[in-house]
Amino acid sequence: MPRMVPLLFSSLVVLSAGLVSAQDTGGSINFATTADPTFNPWSPTAFVESNLINELIFPGLTRWDKNLKPAPDLATSWKASADGLKWTFNLRRNVKWSDGQAFNAADVAFTFNEIVLKKELAANGGSTWRNAVTKVNVVNPYQVDFILSRPWASLPTYLGYFAGILPQHKFAGVTDPWKFTDFNKQNPVGTGPFKVAQVISGASVKLVRNDLYWGGKPKLAAVTFKVIPDSNAQLAQLLSGDLDLISVGNPETVERIKAAPNLTVDLSTANVYYFVALNQDDPRFQDVRVRQALLYAIDRPAMIKSVLKGYGQVATGPIAPVQKGFYTKNVQQYPYDPAKAKALLAAAGYKPGPNGVLQKDGKPLIISMPTAAYQQLTPISLLVQQYWKDIGVQADLKTLDWNSYIQQVIVKRDYQASAAWWSTPADPDVLPYYDSSAANVGNNIPNYKNPKLDALLEQGRKDTGTARKATYVQAQKLMATELPYLYLWYPQSITAYNNRLTGMRGVTLPADFQYAAEWSVK
Amino acid sequence: MTRAATVPPAGEVRQRRTGLLPRLLRHPVGITAVLVLAVLYAAAFLGPFVYSASPITTDALNTTASPSAQHLLGTDELGRDVLARLLYGGRITLTISIVSMVVALSIGSLVGALAGFYQGWTETLLMRLVDTFMAIPSFFLILAAIAVLGNAPAVVVTVIGLGFWPQVARIVHAEVSKIRNFEFVEAGRALGASGSRLIWRHVFPQALPAAAVLTTLGIAWSILTETGLSYLGLGIQPPLASWGNMLQNAQTYFWVKPMLAIYPGAVIALAVLCFNLLGNVLRDLTDPRSRF
Amino acid sequence: MVGFLGRRIGQGMVVLLLISLVTFFLINLAPGGPSAAARFESTAEERAAIQKQLGLDRPLLTRYGSWATGVLRGDFGATLSGGQPVAPILRQRLGTTLQLGLAALVLSVVIGIPLGIITAMRRNSVLDHSVNALSTLGMSVPDFWTGIMAILLFAVTLKVLPASGLADMSAGFSLSEWLRHMILPAGVLAFVMLPNLVRFTRASLLEVLGADYLRTARAKGVREGRVIVKHALRNAFVPIVAMIGLILPALLSGSVIIESVFGLPGMGRLAVDAALGRDYNTIMAVTLAAGFIVILTNLVVDLAYTVIDPRIRHD
Repeated sequence: MPRMVPLLFSSLVVLSAGLVSAQDTGGSINFATTADPTFNPWSPTAFVESNLINELIFPGLTRWDKNLKPAPDLATSWKASADGLKWTFNLRRNVKWSDGQAFNAADVAFTFNEIVLKKELAANGGSTWRNAVTKVNVVNPYQVDFILSRPWASLPTYLGYFAGILPQHKFAGVTDPWKFTDFNKQNPVGTGPFKVAQVISGASVKLVRNDLYWGGKPKLAAVTFKVIPDSNAQLAQLLSGDLDLISVGNPETVERIKAAPNLTVDLSTANVYYFVALNQDDPRFQDVRVRQALLYAIDRPAMIKSVLKGYGQVATGPIAPVQKGFYTKNVQQYPYDPAKAKALLAAAGYKPGPNGVLQKDGKPLIISMPTAAYQQLTPISLLVQQYWKDIGVQADLKTLDWNSYIQQVIVKRDYQASAAWWSTPADPDVLPYYDSSAANVGNNIPNYKNPKLDALLEQGRKDTGTARKATYVQAQKLMATELPYLYLWYPQSITAYNNRLTGMRGVTLPADFQYAAEWSVK
Repeated sequence: MTRAATVPPAGEVRQRRTGLLPRLLRHPVGITAVLVLAVLYAAAFLGPFVYSASPITTDALNTTASPSAQHLLGTDELGRDVLARLLYGGRITLTISIVSMVVALSIGSLVGALAGFYQGWTETLLMRLVDTFMAIPSFFLILAAIAVLGNAPAVVVTVIGLGFWPQVARIVHAEVSKIRNFEFVEAGRALGASGSRLIWRHVFPQALPAAAVLTTLGIAWSILTETGLSYLGLGIQPPLASWGNMLQNAQTYFWVKPMLAIYPGAVIALAVLCFNLLGNVLRDLTDPRSRF
Repeated sequence: MVGFLGRRIGQGMVVLLLISLVTFFLINLAPGGPSAAARFESTAEERAAIQKQLGLDRPLLTRYGSWATGVLRGDFGATLSGGQPVAPILRQRLGTTLQLGLAALVLSVVIGIPLGIITAMRRNSVLDHSVNALSTLGMSVPDFWTGIMAILLFAVTLKVLPASGLADMSAGFSLSEWLRHMILPAGVLAFVMLPNLVRFTRASLLEVLGADYLRTARAKGVREGRVIVKHALRNAFVPIVAMIGLILPALLSGSVIIESVFGLPGMGRLAVDAALGRDYNTIMAVTLAAGFIVILTNLVVDLAYTVIDPRIRHD
């Protein structure tokens, strides 16, 4: 029995010697994902763990260029009718699915008519699409018409945002597309530069080059996604060379990554904004002075410095600076000013109470603030709680797990204040998050209702050119004054990768993944 | 009936129990563990009166600061005082570990004693129940329960306690079954003492030493369990501090601020070590030949 | 013997039924609901459609009924997180956990029992005390902490072992690759179990060593090494086997954390993911499987007694 121990050790030594040569198989890279992916961008069980992988397998009609504007992918050109209710897309010819079948207009019509627009399927983002798109008609094998119920200028942008096209022929005879697990979990068929070669549940997904890819032979032979839920484990693997790229969730670790000579840290900006939602069903928050006071009370630059280590900038509204054509700085600003916050609350009728908590009509200003043990929501809420406490507002924090949080805050709207974030396409159309019709049932989390804003956002969907910009500038000014959400900041996305990986565009990760055929290794 | 209470316990049993505390305090390892634990408890429960920094006041402009006169052990990622959090976290963690063992001990002793004393179908029924709970690996059970009931401190305490009661029940059952047939119990029974009276006044106290050993080791187990739950994000939630969630939090900052992880890690290891040592010493003292 | 087996199997079934009832009604009371029905960005209409798809709009009793009849036919249902049948996933994950558990068990036994014997023979020696101190210390450090430290040392600093994950067996089974990936997690898991085994072996042996027949053997001039091997060990073996049976549930519990730390696709991590994602069908299957394993092990251990010590009979 004791002989076992030296035996183990000697085999270890031999093994570690063999490790070096194992790496130079050439043209293969390793990424991380957090769970087993679902190979179907529309499946309600596809989450963040599936998004990037699906970009490699299922291109959409458009993809984003370096300025995050829609560029041709499976569609080569498009135009809208004069009334904006019909969009015609010309499709790329000679595109083949990875199983050899030809791609054509029927696949596009199938994807939208049979999957996305079917209410009972509840496809990812389905309501956003159903909100404007009625159906997709096949004009000829290389042309489709999107028939709209209301104008939607952002259609081409949304078509490049996790809107992959599925193969009609594979779904023939499938009654429930979400239970089509042979496709969704094992053997998907797409038109992208990579196709699935092997899935080991809970361990890894290996993609190999799709030789039939229309854009020419992808430079990499293989891309493997390892399933690693823990971000510290991901970092450890990046440092040890087992992973080539990770998305850095906690900016605190950037310093450590920068210290490694073989790693590069890449910063990019997507249209993401963090916010504190104040439930508008609560009469206290219907007073705009209260909303403004609660924002004046938060030292956002200090929070950016501590929570984001400086990788972010103060947010002014839902349209981030990355949208150069629409973003405006000339809106009401809320620099950290506790005195002004107190004055506004005093004007709104709040007076200091016995225990330091402000009160109005004998009722103390206490805010119930559920938060989730998810990414950085808890630390953000803790800091906000402290800032509010400093001006005499008491926030009662309750930390829930993610699913319970969604149930309470999103489903039941049972909260008074809560911090979260929105990540949207780089497009000024933010109607789903602000429209009165989306209060309580949709993405309008604060249940904010303002007919003026509704009208502006509806107008923006119809406008084109400079009129569109003018409308959205007006909308941004209105939102900055009215504060439907308390805007916190636009974070920078931080990606860390091994220097051997080249060909990344450095835009945003989702946009980079749409050009994966260009990646290579040194 | 009054005479029943004066029936002396069997000699062997009595000898095992005499002077346990003095013997523990004379034992070099025992006294060390007791002293260290006393210091930890004193720090956690009295420390905040001496060290007045707040464990929850954040300061975004003074995060991960080095030790200073104002913050003796520096600040964490949100600018909170690390020492204050250690002290308050100690309160939570140490309270959880003890209360959860009280839960385990009460349920376990009750079930074990009833099963051991009454035999027959009561015993069969109760012990099958114990087996059921023993059969589910405790962590799976705790995981499911936390997912259901949420992670309020009271829930965490109860659930950890429920994870341990079957072991207590088993030991108490075994001890009580052993003692059940001793002369003095039979004598009591012959004298007409009621069952419950016999259990509580005579039989149960005899099973206490074994239960005490188990509880001491159980406290160590429950501290580690709370830490493990925190690692999975299911333990005590912020803004409350516990040693477990401090350690979990600090993991992210390990690369840049290892001290944030070292402090809670060290106190957890110290407390668990002392409870383990204490349990071992108690075991040696109460029953030198025992195996568990 | 047959009667004993029949009784134990019957009891085991009842226990499993109880487990399934308790778990089913508890998890369905949990707030949150399955991830697909609790998406941050989905609308009320989408959520209602998903509830319907997953059959969550039916009454609880009906759902238990259809789940239970499915299980009796050998169908554990589909995961709520991807629509796949639960059984094959569970089998695959169980495989990983068993590999991890067995590797850890072997390590504990191979290291723990000899250490227990040595410390029993050299009672109160420096060796005895240092093993005791070390093992108590090992019991006192959180296992995820030990795991992270091991990763930092062996994978990040020394770069001799992979930081996490399973060996890639697509090119066929390779024992060396398997060992490379298994040694850290199994080592850490064993490290946590080891102290119990060492201490227990030592205590069992000490008890036997004091027995009269050994004193007689020694008096007859039998060498101490022979006394230990021929007489003492054999008698100390029964409780040690029992201990191994007790270690198993602990190993399963430990695997939850170890698998998370080392990114191993085992049953423990499946349990955590399923609990967080409220994947009811998966939680049920995992809990039943864990219960089944423990019941089975207890039975095997009891039967093993008869083999090791013919004096024990089950009737």
